[in-house]
Amino acid sequence: MAGPAHPHAMAPPTPGRTRAAPPQTPSTWWGSKRIMTYLLFDATGIVYFLVAFVAIRLIRDLGDGPLAWARAMESLQHPIYIAFHVLCLIAVIFVAVRFFRLFPKAQPPTIGPAKPPPAAVIHAMLYVIWIGITAVMTAILAGVIF
Amino acid sequence: MKTILLRLEPIIWLLFGQGILIGTMLLTGWILVVGILIPMGMVDAEALSYARAHSLATASLFGFVPLGKLILAALLVLPLWKGAHHVRSLLIDFGGGERDGIVGTLLYLIAIVGSVMAIMAVVGL
Amino acid sequence: MADKTIVITRFDPDKDEAPRKQEYTVPCEPNWKVLDAVNFIKDELDATISYRWSCRMAVCGSCGMMVNGEPKLTCKTTLSDYGDRVDIEPLANFPIVRDLVVELDGFMHKFESVKPWIMRAKEKAEDKAAYHETKGTFSQSAEELGNFKQFSMCINCMLCYSACPVVANEPDFLGPAAIALGHRYNTDSRDQGNDERNEIFRGEGTVFSCSYANECSEVCPKNVDPAAAINQAKFGAVIDWAKGLVIPRGGSN
Repeated sequence: MAGPAHPHAMAPPTPGRTRAAPPQTPSTWWGSKRIMTYLLFDATGIVYFLVAFVAIRLIRDLGDGPLAWARAMESLQHPIYIAFHVLCLIAVIFVAVRFFRLFPKAQPPTIGPAKPPPAAVIHAMLYVIWIGITAVMTAILAGVIF
Repeated sequence: MKTILLRLEPIIWLLFGQGILIGTMLLTGWILVVGILIPMGMVDAEALSYARAHSLATASLFGFVPLGKLILAALLVLPLWKGAHHVRSLLIDFGGGERDGIVGTLLYLIAIVGSVMAIMAVVGL
Repeated sequence: MADKTIVITRFDPDKDEAPRKQEYTVPCEPNWKVLDAVNFIKDELDATISYRWSCRMAVCGSCGMMVNGEPKLTCKTTLSDYGDRVDIEPLANFPIVRDLVVELDGFMHKFESVKPWIMRAKEKAEDKAAYHETKGTFSQSAEELGNFKQFSMCINCMLCYSACPVVANEPDFLGPAAIALGHRYNTDSRDQGNDERNEIFRGEGTVFSCSYANECSEVCPKNVDPAAAINQAKFGAVIDWAKGLVIPRGGSN
């Protein structure tokens, strides 16, 4: 086994009649590809926290006037910031792909009287909406439209 | 603290769910242009000059719906809740079940503080 | 076929401080399952090993064990899929009673706590006569059955509990099989007990502890997809919470 699980994991409500050995986590835990992918998925939470706070600081600078905004945009040119945002982009794509795969089956069988569309349709719709929103936002922010 | 968290789980989960769904969808374009393409010079920096950035952020629909601010608010607030929930989950995965009451509360407090900062920044535009 | 080294976890609370490993050399047949090798050891090599098994055909859920670190039904797991060394351990995340036998009472307790039976709202006394005369048995369409049938296929083998990272770290978590079963009843058109079950789903064992690792569904031998059930149940619990904001509970019933 890999290591101890929580000492009271799956503990009986009243102690058993003989001494039990404590629960263990699976021995393949830390090497398993699926588990590492899942832990990475959870770890993207850190990235989301950071990118949100960076964005909040940027918007505050936007509210503080042209000088503050220019300084903020210039600071984003630092290689560390660019590398950070590349990491963010990878994280966001990773989250989207995994989440879109898991989202359809989490829909309830009926929503009131209506049935949700088939899982494959929901899956495809999510990608269409995501790519659509990204394209529109990119076009707007990059000055192509509006 | 765990009991307070338990009672608030539904709303936390809703915010987290939207953080993943809407947050991810909005963040992709933002990160691409603001974080990568403009800083690397692949897109003209004038696209987000102060004047244009400010007018986009304060753009309104039909003259009274503050569309720019609403989208910005979603983009700033929702990822915080995805972040808080997943970091809490990550710490539990690493054996933090016992401390979850305090750690979870702390993480959601950070998300609340961040949300307030975000709303204030957006309102102050 | 060549001999394989089968490593079995041994633990006798009267003799051992902690679980230990014991190796056996087993002449394996090409068509054997892992359970056949364990039965061979019991019959021919060492009668003292303890383990659970019953139907030999993956319907009873008794023979769940960790095979090379993965939770499997040993009656369904082909031995030729593995190399020369096969490590058999008791199910992860459960206290170990003896050798490959784990403590089940914890699971039974969580299982019962979701009230896995049809609950009807209390019929008023004066309606009871009318109910029996005119309505007869419950009727359910094929579509209504389709809403929950998949979740009713669980054989309580508990492989999902061994795979779940939250079960390993949060002792109060209800766990995949229990929540899937509670959700099976919540989505059964004959059942009217959603209120009571959603209270349990939002209690200490909260369904929201699930972090959607999806491991439970990956290891489930009957394609129950408990991860789908749990995440549908979260949605149901949110609706229940939202309703509770508008319509305070505790009035009738």
